[in-house]
Amino acid sequence: MLVRLKTRTFRRAAIFAVGFSISATILDPVDVRADGSLDSIKVLQKLTSGDDSTQAASKAITQLSKASDVTLIQSLTAMKGATPVGRNWLSGLANSLYRKSGKSQTAELTKFMEDASQDGEARYLVFQWLTTNNALLRKELLAKMNQDSSPELRFLAIDEAMKVKLENKDLSVLLDAARHPSQVVSIIEKLKELGVTIDQSKQLGFLPDWRLIGPFDNVGTVNFDKAFQVETDWARGATKDEYQGKTEAVTWKPHTTAAPDGVVDLAELYNKEKGCIIYAAAEFDSEKDQDAEIRLGCINGNKIWVNGKLVISNEVYHTGTQIDQYAEPIRLKAGKNQILVKVCQNEQKEQWAQDYKFQVRICDATGKAILTEGR
Amino acid sequence: MRLNMHKFYKSSWFAFGLTVATLSQQMTAKADWPMFRGPNAGSVGIDSKLPTKFGGEAKENIAWRTELPGRSVGGVIVVGDQAITTSSSGMDQRRLHLISVNSKDGTIRWQQEFVARGRPFCHPTSANAAPTPASDGKHVFAFYSSNDIACVDLEGNLVWYRSLSTDFPKAGNDVGMSSSPVVLDGVCVVQIECQGDSFAAGLNAEDGKVLWKLDRPKQANWSSPTIVKMLDGQQVIVMQSSEDLLAVEPKSGKILWKKELRCSTIPSSFAAEGKLFVPAGGLTAFDLSSVGTGPSKLWDNNKLSSNACSPLVVGKNVYTISRTVLACGDLFSGESKWQTRLADAKSIWSSPVVAANNLYVFSDDGRCFVVELGDKEGKVVATNELGEAVLGSPAVSGNAMYVRGVSSLWKIAEK
Repeated sequence: MLVRLKTRTFRRAAIFAVGFSISATILDPVDVRADGSLDSIKVLQKLTSGDDSTQAASKAITQLSKASDVTLIQSLTAMKGATPVGRNWLSGLANSLYRKSGKSQTAELTKFMEDASQDGEARYLVFQWLTTNNALLRKELLAKMNQDSSPELRFLAIDEAMKVKLENKDLSVLLDAARHPSQVVSIIEKLKELGVTIDQSKQLGFLPDWRLIGPFDNVGTVNFDKAFQVETDWARGATKDEYQGKTEAVTWKPHTTAAPDGVVDLAELYNKEKGCIIYAAAEFDSEKDQDAEIRLGCINGNKIWVNGKLVISNEVYHTGTQIDQYAEPIRLKAGKNQILVKVCQNEQKEQWAQDYKFQVRICDATGKAILTEGR
Repeated sequence: MRLNMHKFYKSSWFAFGLTVATLSQQMTAKADWPMFRGPNAGSVGIDSKLPTKFGGEAKENIAWRTELPGRSVGGVIVVGDQAITTSSSGMDQRRLHLISVNSKDGTIRWQQEFVARGRPFCHPTSANAAPTPASDGKHVFAFYSSNDIACVDLEGNLVWYRSLSTDFPKAGNDVGMSSSPVVLDGVCVVQIECQGDSFAAGLNAEDGKVLWKLDRPKQANWSSPTIVKMLDGQQVIVMQSSEDLLAVEPKSGKILWKKELRCSTIPSSFAAEGKLFVPAGGLTAFDLSSVGTGPSKLWDNNKLSSNACSPLVVGKNVYTISRTVLACGDLFSGESKWQTRLADAKSIWSSPVVAANNLYVFSDDGRCFVVELGDKEGKVVATNELGEAVLGSPAVSGNAMYVRGVSSLWKIAEK
């Protein structure tokens, strides 16, 4: 009997060990002791999109909601390394578990929230639980978080810090910490009130220097996907000085925007031309090979290529714009990187549909500016 | 043997208890105001009596007010004793909240929270939490401008979640989306119309599977799908756009009929008295008794137009709001009867509701105009101030009105 029991225990342990090692890269450091729950959490962590994935997750969360061996901390810990969709499922599970037992786990939750190695979204969730109806605690915690690894917690902390009057030195610290453009702009405005001028365009990493060519034809809004010769020539690194435009020959024109938000106003530069396309080329000199993001704000149809690769494409006209409206990861190579922006205007006549402009910046994944060499 | 019988009795009682509990739950879970504009999208609180005067400095007839995280321009639904609404908060309004409030005392019963995986951007006056949630009395479906959709049970436990922008990456509109979902025959229907991935879809209420998907015109559209009961008793989903008006079978997505029609893209359609009222060319009425290729047109009247609010019917009249003008027409002939300007009203985005022949409409500065509806005139009998912006449509349940302000939820009832 004893042998039999031990064998069973060994088998379970072995199965658990195998299962754990298979999933260790995703699950670590979750310690879920029941195989069923372990499998269910794995399903939630890996979720992407589509019907099969959703149905599998629906079954998994039903299993987890019935399991007695899944703890709140485990569900939060599992968010680390999970897919974005998976994190939302795990957040749903965590919220339910918090209602059942969370209020008796303040110490564990505080420890989790203060552990910067845990998933930022999970820590933000816990921060809210801990500070709802406790303004004093909220203030105390945020006072230490303006350099937090979680962009959301950092954003809250800077918002909180900005509620009081600050001196130059404090504002400079916040400016260094801030990543969201709205906060960067607010801090720069406050510094300006104190007599300190900051180059906002440089602080955010906007590209000010462009070469523009156009207009090319987009009457009927039909040429978003048409590769004009200038586009194909640029892709092979051999552009000419002059091309046939919409109505006449057009040439490259250098343009440097002085706008603090990096906006290049094509409507102003091209006499409010409608039904047209302008190309804008820029060069970015990177000090090293590095990961980065290219971020675009544009109220018109747009495409961006970096070093010949299409990275952004949106056939959308006049439905709002803002800094960082579109963001995509790119790989910068050491030295010169070539950027081409295609901006398409349609022919809408409404007063609110006349803007024709774009703004591009280069930054790291957190939003901190990466500047071209020499700037 | 005795033990087995005991087990049998126990399991029988257990089963009986479970049945009673299930029935009881279904009965108590009856959705009083289950989706945008309430039962049948009628916007009318049947047999409800609401105070005409409320709010102000005296907080007259305010049963409770509960502050909620973030902001919302959507509405509120009532399911049993829960008033349920959504919020969006945090950086770029990426935090998505679904909140149930006890209708009796305003305490928060449960909350769920997610992070937007689609585009969270919108006009500064709007919010990611713009669509009104929906319920089938068993589930609650929370939908957001970012095209994230979550289904929870009535205790707030997650049943399923989908990021429709992960499935369809070009779905979205950076002015903000606002079409509210509806649920019918076990299918949650969403209408996501924009210049990118533009579609309507029916999702299985139980597990979120996309049962059907219809390509839609690639134009921005903020109107909501509507449940319409045809005269043969069949319930269908009606959707409108700047190009068409169509009815689909909820389980299959089969198009039952389709008309080319330039409909408004903000206010939504609804059916009453065997007619379908569509904000198009002002207001256009269709006869639901004529099916086949689609209902035939009865009348239209460009003086009964709606810029944002959805129209409604009370008695023999149809009512519309354009900017700040409330207009009344005969629902049979379409002839205009009267119109009245809501003096000093600012922008009105919140679709009105009616209780006991009084129409309640909020302007976006939080003032509620109470209009006594008559055949000859509409008389403003009270103007009430909440002191908080209101852009979502209220819910009426029992003798109470639930109002979703931008940052809080209010219950208004006679004290």
